[in-house]
Amino acid sequence: MINQVTLLRVAIILSLLAIWEFLSHSGWLYRDVVPSLLSIGHALLGLLSSPSYYFNLGVTAAEVATALAIGGASGIAFGVVLGANRFLARAYEPYLYYLGPTPKIIFFPILIMWFGVGPESKIALGTLSCFFPVALSVAAGMRAIDKVLIRVGISFRANPWQMAMKIYLPAMRHPIINGIRLGLGVALIGTLLAETKLSNKGIGFLIIQAYSIFDMPRMYAMLIVLFVLAIGANGLVGRLGGLHGIKQQ
Amino acid sequence: MTASARSQRSAARDYAPAVTGFGMLVAFLLLMELLVQTGLVNRFIVPPPSEIIASFGRVIVEEHVFSRFVLTLTECLTAGVMLTIFGVAGGVIMHRFQLLQQACETWVAAMASAPIVLMYPLFLVIFGRNSWTIIMMGFISALPPVILKTIEGISGTRRVLVNVGRSFNLTGQQQFWKILFPAALPNIFVGIRLGLIFALINIVGVEFLINYGGLGQLINDLAERYDLPGTYAAICFVILVSVLFFMTLEKIERWLRPID
Amino acid sequence: MPASSPAHADNAILVVDNITMRFDTSEGAVFAVDDVSFDVKPGEFLSVIGPSGCGKSTLFNVIGGLLGNYQGAVSVTGETISGPHKSIGMVFQEESTFPWRSVTDNVAFPLELIGMPKETRIERAKHFIGLVGLAGFENRYPGELSGGMRQRVSLARTLASEPKILLMDEPFAALDEQTRLLLGDKVLQIQQQLKQTTLLITHNITEAVQMSDRILVMTYRPGKVKRIVNIDLPRPRTSEIVSSEAFGRYVAQIWSDLREEASRGMRDEDAQALHHKGASA
Repeated sequence: MINQVTLLRVAIILSLLAIWEFLSHSGWLYRDVVPSLLSIGHALLGLLSSPSYYFNLGVTAAEVATALAIGGASGIAFGVVLGANRFLARAYEPYLYYLGPTPKIIFFPILIMWFGVGPESKIALGTLSCFFPVALSVAAGMRAIDKVLIRVGISFRANPWQMAMKIYLPAMRHPIINGIRLGLGVALIGTLLAETKLSNKGIGFLIIQAYSIFDMPRMYAMLIVLFVLAIGANGLVGRLGGLHGIKQQ
Repeated sequence: MTASARSQRSAARDYAPAVTGFGMLVAFLLLMELLVQTGLVNRFIVPPPSEIIASFGRVIVEEHVFSRFVLTLTECLTAGVMLTIFGVAGGVIMHRFQLLQQACETWVAAMASAPIVLMYPLFLVIFGRNSWTIIMMGFISALPPVILKTIEGISGTRRVLVNVGRSFNLTGQQQFWKILFPAALPNIFVGIRLGLIFALINIVGVEFLINYGGLGQLINDLAERYDLPGTYAAICFVILVSVLFFMTLEKIERWLRPID
Repeated sequence: MPASSPAHADNAILVVDNITMRFDTSEGAVFAVDDVSFDVKPGEFLSVIGPSGCGKSTLFNVIGGLLGNYQGAVSVTGETISGPHKSIGMVFQEESTFPWRSVTDNVAFPLELIGMPKETRIERAKHFIGLVGLAGFENRYPGELSGGMRQRVSLARTLASEPKILLMDEPFAALDEQTRLLLGDKVLQIQQQLKQTTLLITHNITEAVQMSDRILVMTYRPGKVKRIVNIDLPRPRTSEIVSSEAFGRYVAQIWSDLREEASRGMRDEDAQALHHKGASA
């Protein structure tokens, strides 16, 4: 379906690429800050065909997945408790609310001391990052459940397990999915930043390594793959949760 | 029950949660103090809270915390001004040109969830090892929410308000400045607040990562010097600053939107 | 204050006995309902009508077992209730269909809770979906239906649990008048077919007279029973009955009772609004 929107998008992309290529050959910027598209493509191919890249990708993916699992699960648990109980929410949620937007990377030195220089500290940072948005999202979701649906469940004498599985959980599917998307995003960032700071494995490490030997095409290639994966994962989680398009918040 | 007794009871009920929360925090600190002092927790991994608190004074004076704070704040405000101008303008332009909006809005939304901060080595190369790298990183990563919220605000103007304008035969320009833009302001402010939050997070983070700048760099410095209590103290300080920053933003927003 | 227990009919299926409910507010104790007693006979359609603030919703929640803390007792077939009773099915005023479930899954919900096997409950659900006139919409989702249709789904869902007593709280309040009359027809039809004992809480006089065997008129707060009116209109009935003379007389009679209470309510609310405004000025 070739319509105006698609045409415009193609036009924008092509002109951006053209400007890029022009800048690359113009010599205005320091060499290789804007490498030619060809060299980036070359580096991309090299990357995608190198087994060590996939190994590092796997390391990072495993770290992020673990961080998401631990941070997500504890976030959901805390969120449910805070959403259900007004007193606890008023006592503790402000801490979550104000700590949430604080950059978690600053905790990294402490996490290294506690967990060592291996993947554990990266996972810890990812978990810490991911916990807050999930917990806050789930807590808000609990409170936003249409009260009448809960009364329906009670009027049909559903037991607590049935209430949780058949009413609370489905009623909260949007906040939970959105919380997890956000959590995934920040877990990814946290883990990668930790890898750039102190690691000898993983994508973050590779990026900083490429930077240190000024292999710009390779660094761009890695950033491209990373962005594609990050956006793809975000969309996938949203799609799985029944949301369509990235815009829905 | 007398009126004063009733109001006493409800006042207690109001403060009880806050007191509980704070009380737990204090209890936790006391517990940690006990655990570290008795050696159950290694003091070279977790210094006793008393030492951390004691080092606050030292850190503030010796490490020029105030001037660092001013530096970080300046970076933040610069990024903030930039993202207000470009973000709102971007949103307005995208709304004005429907086709552009349809083509690019999802891209902007995708950028909001992309790990832009990971491009910091790139920015280092482009801008050099100075505050501009930091400011630009804050600016770029904070742009998407401002643009998106601006679009949301303008296009979300209630149909009936738009029709009022049309019934008075307003020109396009008048329609925009007198109706659409004012109606969008609440959303725009929310977008700017979100943007400032993103900016602060990224700015402090990048300061930490490239070891340059204000508060973020302080933590890095103290950690590399193995000044454990100092590192913890600096982290606490940064948390405090960021919390105050967000509270101030909220107060300002509430002051600017009294009728909500 | 609770008087001695009034005599209740022997064959009453639902007995509401001296229900008094009080709330403590900043202005002192308020009695939502005060010493309300009545019974409902099997197969009967009883409406409870009253002005806003007469405690009808409180009564609904008490009988439905969603509220405790009251004095008096409610019993179903002789058994005093202590929570939602399995013989009472509730239909709420607000939108209450589960948006994430299809019509069939919504209606089958109570059957799912008691562990009925899948095939049986889908068949049972289909039967009730047909009964409320939504055959063909089994696989649709509430988001695709109109407000009236969604209320029918809620009704089918409650009917699917085959309650001895159907308890409804202004289920048609959010609908327009014409839809309301037609749905009223449907409910009447179903009730007559199933011989379903029904207790309807409403503020709509036409609705009450159209559907009921008896009407209980309540006073404004504290809610007491003002009068019980027997509606001797012929059965089976349809919405055409609204144009008959007898109908008009019943409506007039009930309105004259209600008007007194409703005006008291209005004066009271106005006084309260002024008082609060003055207090915060």
